[in-house]
Amino acid sequence: MKNLILKNSAMVAGALLIGAASASAAEFKWASNTDPQTMDPHAVNSAPVLSFLNNVYEGLVRRNQGMSIEGSLAESWEPLQDDDGWRFNLRQGVTFQDGAAFTSEDVMFSYERASNEAADVRSWFAPVSEVRVVDDFTIDFITKAPNPLFPDSIANFMILDKGWAEANGAELPARDAENHATMNVNGTGAFKVASRDPGVKTVLVPNEGWWGEATHNITEATFTPIGNAATGLAALLSSEIDFIQPIPLQDVAQVESRDGFKVLEGEETRVIMFGFGHEHEELLYSSDVTGKNPFADARVRLAAAHAIDIASIDRVLFRGKIEGASQLVPAGISGYSEANSDRPAYDPDRAKALLAEAGYPEGFSFGLKCPNDRYINDEALCRAAASMFAAVGLNAELSTGPVRDYWPQLREDAFDMYLLGWSPGTFDMEHPIRFLMSTPNKEKKLGSWNFGGYSNARVDELLPGIQREVNPAARQAMVDEVVAITQEEVAYIPLYTQPLIWAAKDNVDLTQRADNFFMLRWVTVN
Amino acid sequence: MVYFILKRLIQSVFVMIAVAFLAFSLFRFVGDPITQMTGVETSIEDQERLREELGLNDPFVAQFVRFTGDMLQGDFGYSYRTRQPVGEMIATRVPATLELGIVALLISLVVGIPTGVFTALRPRGFATQTILLTTLVGVSIPTFVIGIMLIFLFGVQLGWLPTFGRGGTVQIGGWETSLFTIDGWRALILPAITLGVYQLTLTMRLVRAEMMEVLRSDYIRFGMARGVPMRSLYFRHALANTMVPVITIIGLQFGGVIAFSIVTESVFQWPGMGLLFLESIRFVDIPVMGVYLVVIAFFFVLVNLIVDLLYLAIDPRLRVKDTS
Amino acid sequence: MIAFIKRYEGLWLFTRSPAAIIAAIVAFFSIFGAIFAPLIASVNPYDLASFSLMDGLLPPVWEDYGNPKFLLGTDDQGRDMVSSILYGARLSLIIGISAMTIATVLGVGLGLAAGYYGGRFDMIVMRIADIQLALPAILTALLIDGIARGILPTEVQQDLRVAVLTLAIALSLWVNFARTARASTFVQMQKEYVQAAIIMGQRPIRVMFVHILPNILGPLLVIMTVDLASAILLEATLSFLGIGLPADSPSLGTLIRIGMQFMLSGEWWILWIPTVFLVALVISINILGDFLRDVFNPRLR
Repeated sequence: MKNLILKNSAMVAGALLIGAASASAAEFKWASNTDPQTMDPHAVNSAPVLSFLNNVYEGLVRRNQGMSIEGSLAESWEPLQDDDGWRFNLRQGVTFQDGAAFTSEDVMFSYERASNEAADVRSWFAPVSEVRVVDDFTIDFITKAPNPLFPDSIANFMILDKGWAEANGAELPARDAENHATMNVNGTGAFKVASRDPGVKTVLVPNEGWWGEATHNITEATFTPIGNAATGLAALLSSEIDFIQPIPLQDVAQVESRDGFKVLEGEETRVIMFGFGHEHEELLYSSDVTGKNPFADARVRLAAAHAIDIASIDRVLFRGKIEGASQLVPAGISGYSEANSDRPAYDPDRAKALLAEAGYPEGFSFGLKCPNDRYINDEALCRAAASMFAAVGLNAELSTGPVRDYWPQLREDAFDMYLLGWSPGTFDMEHPIRFLMSTPNKEKKLGSWNFGGYSNARVDELLPGIQREVNPAARQAMVDEVVAITQEEVAYIPLYTQPLIWAAKDNVDLTQRADNFFMLRWVTVN
Repeated sequence: MVYFILKRLIQSVFVMIAVAFLAFSLFRFVGDPITQMTGVETSIEDQERLREELGLNDPFVAQFVRFTGDMLQGDFGYSYRTRQPVGEMIATRVPATLELGIVALLISLVVGIPTGVFTALRPRGFATQTILLTTLVGVSIPTFVIGIMLIFLFGVQLGWLPTFGRGGTVQIGGWETSLFTIDGWRALILPAITLGVYQLTLTMRLVRAEMMEVLRSDYIRFGMARGVPMRSLYFRHALANTMVPVITIIGLQFGGVIAFSIVTESVFQWPGMGLLFLESIRFVDIPVMGVYLVVIAFFFVLVNLIVDLLYLAIDPRLRVKDTS
Repeated sequence: MIAFIKRYEGLWLFTRSPAAIIAAIVAFFSIFGAIFAPLIASVNPYDLASFSLMDGLLPPVWEDYGNPKFLLGTDDQGRDMVSSILYGARLSLIIGISAMTIATVLGVGLGLAAGYYGGRFDMIVMRIADIQLALPAILTALLIDGIARGILPTEVQQDLRVAVLTLAIALSLWVNFARTARASTFVQMQKEYVQAAIIMGQRPIRVMFVHILPNILGPLLVIMTVDLASAILLEATLSFLGIGLPADSPSLGTLIRIGMQFMLSGEWWILWIPTVFLVALVISINILGDFLRDVFNPRLR
């Protein structure tokens, strides 16, 4: 017993020593609400994974602080002369973290790996017909049609070392069991993973052999997922962490009121919207309308749009931090239609008039589905919207649920109206047109998130042109036409752009990027 | 005695299988794992292929047989979310939950039994009324509110204690413990109090009720009349006789402690099994949920077995009945 | 006759216990408010058309910017806190009392029978209890919720949330009753009066409920009072974990869960007013339970 106690106190002393030695100015601790579920950059196409791995892996191109594309492992790229597609001229002298040299073989290997059926990111390569290695530092991506957006669309396509992957049996992303790449990392990026305890903490250290010039002053960075928002805020305010993304809107004032902390506010690229069951024959959750679907009538959809008071939602629910949205991407995203930047005004009288005109002077009841753990204030938003709808006679039967159960319900068409948020993966208007506005078509992989089955022949006709057109003005004209049509028909009710709220200690300088990605190499601790 | 233990062991196996079955049948209703495993751009065919590969289209019974069969062979499968072996994932989380649970239980016993005795001996005293009312307030506030309040008081405002996680941990023979570092203990205090406060009140009230009951019994009165010292009466005779129900409660409480540690772990970001389970629900990580439940069932069965055996040791009257 | 004396004695005791009087007053007003919520409340918090976001986040009337229309302020939806609390208490009490009643009837019945018959029946009941214990309340709630979702049509699911939640809470509470009743019954079975009743040929039901039950009520009443409180809190906890009642038909627990978001944002009333109300209600129930136990069990006085 005595021995044990002695041993324990020795351990306590040892632990304290370690604690004291490693405390240094440029150690950095941060938290977010979700742990990246894997360290394999091709296994899961989700923001927490891609955001985290962008610190350790790199792509051919990358996004800079302003979201535009710049060279990374490729120094330059240009359209091919003879074929449709792009040539990438690779950076020379780059090594992976285990010392292996980076060449076009690694790009080829990563392409094959990421476009394999086992990879979740393979949709990025749907336009690609072939990839050709030209020499050690030149590689061509041949596309099935002219594709001006291709380099933009692969900013998160990260390159693995062929030799490392093959030596460790990680030639393909893990499907049902783990493999070496699930837990281990060998990238070319500015940081490397020193240790990982999934769901608990992950420690990164700078990659001394990185090709780029380090602009950060971090010696060690520790990431902890903290699921509970209040706990995360407490961790920041008690100085246990230096930075957290995101914090709840209503706590912004609390953080700002304390010395030594700051709030970073921005706008995400995600637009929150209501969608309709366009193709439904009748309402599923109505107590007074049977045999028909009032939302098939554009006037009813417009009435719903006029019933929403975005200013009040902004003031009360979002504390003045949102911008109303007129279309499915926010201003600043390429393809944003300046010509159609007005959203339907809050006008309950006009809403009632429109309903009367459509044959529903007394209004009607319907089912509104919303997630309650997906978007900022999603449940509160839907409750507020339901109350606003009710004020003009649209009696929404609101039902909310966790997102794990929400998507399956939408897939099964179990809604009359639903809430959806959309962030354009390519940061271009083409993305929501392809996923949300095109007539659903499995073979062509179109409209896969168009749950309500909105369909307009002209929109479908314009999409291939938008994808191919190289001339910006001609392309924008086509996009403008799509936006005008979908606004006219009220395909969706775009509500607002989701705000992006991060909080940090005053002595931390960092960059908040609109895709909610957090890059350690832009951090300085003063 | 050996026969009794054997019989209980066999019954325990049935309990575990039943739990596994119930647990397994609920997974189908939690949600769709596929939409949680894939990104927004993943095509519907790719989703379907993954569903097929994971065997989610197989009939329910086939899935259950595969699940239990693999588990009996020691193969706990792989997590849908992280693709790691589930056995390993759970094993690394067990120490955190057990240490938290045991410390919380100890707090509830060390504080609960003496205050229970005290309030039974002086049922009308001012101190007793104060204690009863204070503990009532304690159990009347939801655990998650208490936890967050403690975090903000001791973590943020006073800055005395950490707000999340386990602090410093040490590996001892594969067991990651936070009991041997000062950091670890500092991190343990708030979650253990949060988790223990409810059990504390329950222990105290039960000890009090039992104690008052026993104090009225004839043999205690007889002892008083014979002039046996009060101290000896209270603690040797009366308290000893309250122990049968109290042991039941401790057994039950340990279950409650482990179950409620889900809430505490979520509030304090305590990296135990409960937190892992909550994350698994969110991601519909069926293999992890299944194994978690079976592991929890195993703890319950074990504790219950021990409680039953303690019964036999403490109360000879029960021995006649159960071994017959 | 005995009942009459007990009641009389109880009343006399009652007048001498200030705590019980205060608790009774609090409980009376809560229950009265809950029953007559639709008549008292100025708005119906379930009717989305009756409140407006424009009134959102108003503080109680005694603070700056308070509005006399909303005595205790409004939440983030512009919902009157007084009305929300009245309706919330109504829902919480319905869930708590029904869950506790189901748990008591089920648990005591099974526990008594297990203790009385022993043997195989006892074994089966206890193993079922083990299974139940091995499924924490949150899992029971998930399971019941899931099964309900599996077998009920979507339209009625939302309406049956309360029933589903009640059943889930009841199922996670009955084991306490069963195990305590069983353990106490074992002890009583050794007593002469029970043996005498059995030898006299009385029917098992009569022995169990007339002879044994009154003698094991003490510990059961403690559990009942504690469990009514925990049923109400469990509902709040389930709602915190995301499997409780939806925010548009809030119980007290749901109101607290919603209020949690505003703990630090300055709108203290959204969290603390329902919390104080819940605490007052639960404490009153507990004090009354203690008091009732004293009346039922005079030996404890």
